[in-house]
Amino acid sequence: MNSLRIARAALRARPAAFRAPLQRRTYADAAPDKIKLTLALPHQVRTPSPIYDGFTMQLPRLAAIFKSQGVVQVNIPAESGDMGVLANHVPAIEQLKPGMIEVVEDGGSSKRFFLSGGFATVQPGSVMSVNAVEGYPLEDFSADAVRAQITEAQKVANGGGSEQDIAEAKIELEVLESLQAALK
Amino acid sequence: MVFAWKSAGLSYNRYLAIASRVVRRSLKEDKRIAAERRGETDLRFAKWSNGKQGESKNLVDANSSGMASNAGSASS
Repeated sequence: MNSLRIARAALRARPAAFRAPLQRRTYADAAPDKIKLTLALPHQVRTPSPIYDGFTMQLPRLAAIFKSQGVVQVNIPAESGDMGVLANHVPAIEQLKPGMIEVVEDGGSSKRFFLSGGFATVQPGSVMSVNAVEGYPLEDFSADAVRAQITEAQKVANGGGSEQDIAEAKIELEVLESLQAALK
Repeated sequence: MVFAWKSAGLSYNRYLAIASRVVRRSLKEDKRIAAERRGETDLRFAKWSNGKQGESKNLVDANSSGMASNAGSASS
């Protein structure tokens, strides 16, 4: 009976003793102002089948523009409007318009890419991932090619083609005008 | 929210394909040539009925004619 009482007291005493060591310092605590960004293009992600050589399993490596990299801010062209995402953003799913994404890195420098459309998701704990069909840094685009295509698409959009041709030309115009604005 | 491409009878996939194609065409010469290869699709299909193969059709052509016939009915 006596020993039972002691055991009970020990049980009661335990939670207080264990509370302190639980306060660990995690990555999120060390860098509270960063958002972990993954920016991937489906055609770029190499996915060979996992190789097992008898000792270790080699998993397919992820090729991406950003691989879970800590950045300060990500500005995305969402269908619901342009938005900037900082750390600790609420979880969100956004459909992306063809437009420019800007990634602000440590020290205020930023990288700009033009994406052809896709989706961005923000997960709890400052984790963000962006998937786009095509995406290139702005310096990879030719302003001349954009201008030539705008003239071409305008001709089709105002011409007497089928309803579908006109719709496609209007989509092209929308993308090209967004691209031209980004290149300026 | 009503999207222009949707009321024109296009699918979201088709919309993305058009937007991506135009992005690839806007690249500088060297990158463009490498990228444009990705836009090419070559796939044929045939419908089988009563144990016989039907006409073999190009998927891209069949898709675009399907969407063209869709265009009128979807724009409401």
